[in-house]
Amino acid sequence: MRIEERTYTKADHLRPTGYVLKSLIVTFKGLVRATKNRPCTVLYPWERLVYPDNYRGRPGIVLERCIGCARCARDCPNRCIEMVEVELPAGGKAKRPQVNVGRCMMCGNCAETCPVNAMIVTPEFELCSYSRADLIFDPVKLQYPHKPGYEVNYEFALLSEMKKGGEVRTYAKNDPNVHDNVVLDAPKCISCSRCAKTCPAGAIEMAETGELNPKTKKPIKRPKFDTTKCVVCEQCIEVCPKSALSIKEVL
Amino acid sequence: MATLYTVLTDFTQWLMDLIAAILDWTKLGILSDLGDWLQSAPVVDFVTTLLVAVIYLITVMMFALCFIWQERKFLGRFMDRRGTQVGVLGFFQNFADGIKVVLKEHIVPKDSDHALFEMAIFTYLASTFMLFGCIPFSDNFYVIDVNLAVLLGIAIFAFGPFSILVGGWASNNKYTLIGGMRAAAQLIALEIPLLLCVVSVVVLTGDLSFVGIVAWQEENIWLIFPLCIGALTFFIAAIGESERIPFDLPEAEAELVEGWATEYGDIRWGLQMASDYFRAYILCALFTMLFLGGWAGPEFIWAEAWFLAKTFIVFFFFIWVRAATVRIRTDQILKLGWRRLLPLAVINLLIAVALKVAEVF
Repeated sequence: MRIEERTYTKADHLRPTGYVLKSLIVTFKGLVRATKNRPCTVLYPWERLVYPDNYRGRPGIVLERCIGCARCARDCPNRCIEMVEVELPAGGKAKRPQVNVGRCMMCGNCAETCPVNAMIVTPEFELCSYSRADLIFDPVKLQYPHKPGYEVNYEFALLSEMKKGGEVRTYAKNDPNVHDNVVLDAPKCISCSRCAKTCPAGAIEMAETGELNPKTKKPIKRPKFDTTKCVVCEQCIEVCPKSALSIKEVL
Repeated sequence: MATLYTVLTDFTQWLMDLIAAILDWTKLGILSDLGDWLQSAPVVDFVTTLLVAVIYLITVMMFALCFIWQERKFLGRFMDRRGTQVGVLGFFQNFADGIKVVLKEHIVPKDSDHALFEMAIFTYLASTFMLFGCIPFSDNFYVIDVNLAVLLGIAIFAFGPFSILVGGWASNNKYTLIGGMRAAAQLIALEIPLLLCVVSVVVLTGDLSFVGIVAWQEENIWLIFPLCIGALTFFIAAIGESERIPFDLPEAEAELVEGWATEYGDIRWGLQMASDYFRAYILCALFTMLFLGGWAGPEFIWAEAWFLAKTFIVFFFFIWVRAATVRIRTDQILKLGWRRLLPLAVINLLIAVALKVAEVF
């Protein structure tokens, strides 16, 4: 359509009254409002907004709770969590998460996936530093005092319930009905018991099956999984030399 | 009341006497003669004029800087934010910006017309600074008060589009060329209604000096009341002349990087940017003097303060229009200028002539 042929159906379109006067009135109201009260902007370093209770800032950790299952490192979308060895107060060494906050996108997935709520989301978001090394938070620096509300709970609808309406519910972190299970392919197992040694939650017990090894005449042991204790960290699956363990997903 | 000239003439006289006394003290014939020459009337007059010009330029530039500050703060409130925050109420932002542009490097495009490139910005700035001299603050505080001050001011003002077009062409850049073309077309389209409004004022007051026009308004009536159509036309044309939104096509930053001034850097660009506000100040001052009675007002504060207060109020309306409207197309500007403002200005001129013929005032 040529410009000359264009017709304006409403008076507001390009008439002086609509184009100028109406917008003049609107902006003047805005001026009066912003002068009488205050502008909607916040002078950030001096003024702060009240952040919401479920604000997800940088991840924090409660070291006493952590069992070193490395699920946070596995689930991190940016791969910014690495398990490093720290000395425990009780003596000995264990692997605990170290977070590269410079790469963190503060999604809170690590806190949601943590089976013992050791990983938490903190309201801290001012993380500037003068070097990138300062942005790598080792487990000790990562610690943050826990308050109720900092942990992220399981809130989802099970796929199996989708047909009935798929109600979103809060589940306990150790609810065996919602987390996956480790299953054993028994004929492959060589009873090396590495899974039981590596399990951070102590959910695997080498139990006698009642059979005897025909060569050595010793009882054959197979891993037995305690689903309430299991945190599905999959470390047993990784460590199994014969790939006898696998995950069975709960839908 | 002592005018700026008489005060400074006394000061210069005292200064020259002092210098002459020092020179006389040396007992050297040539230096004594030089002292006598310094005390002569033409030299004293020349030095006085220089002093007046410098003092006036600094004063006006400081107030024009206040315009930038006013625009930043008011525009912030219009947009529901705070505006600049540097220094006391954000007043030092201008100085920070100024220091920044002074420190920048001067770059001339390789394929540009060097002589014209440098010349254009200087003519633009020089015409702006010359306009300062034409605008009196009051009948005591001014640089020149010639009988044809209005004509002189408008003539200098008309020099702007010429230098913009030359500058846009000399930069050898398509954006600057388009910006320069648009500026020339728009400024010419809006200058004629502007001039006709000035003519109507001149017809009614029968005087071409600003002091005379203001004195006439002080005696009779502020011209915004009889010539309200002319005041409105002048206001719209003034916004277009100072290249402000909604008529900021010459530097439409969404389409033409920075318009005709794209290739200018350093202090030339800084002064060009400030010059937009200087010209806005000049147009607000013209509006104040032609329609709002200039420095006329109750005498509990100085006349200069009245003048500045009115100018700032007029500029508030400039900011208001800027906050409320969006940029319009070139053809719409030209259509507005030739088809709407020009007839309005002519009608206004007819009203002025009718009032004059009927001898209402």
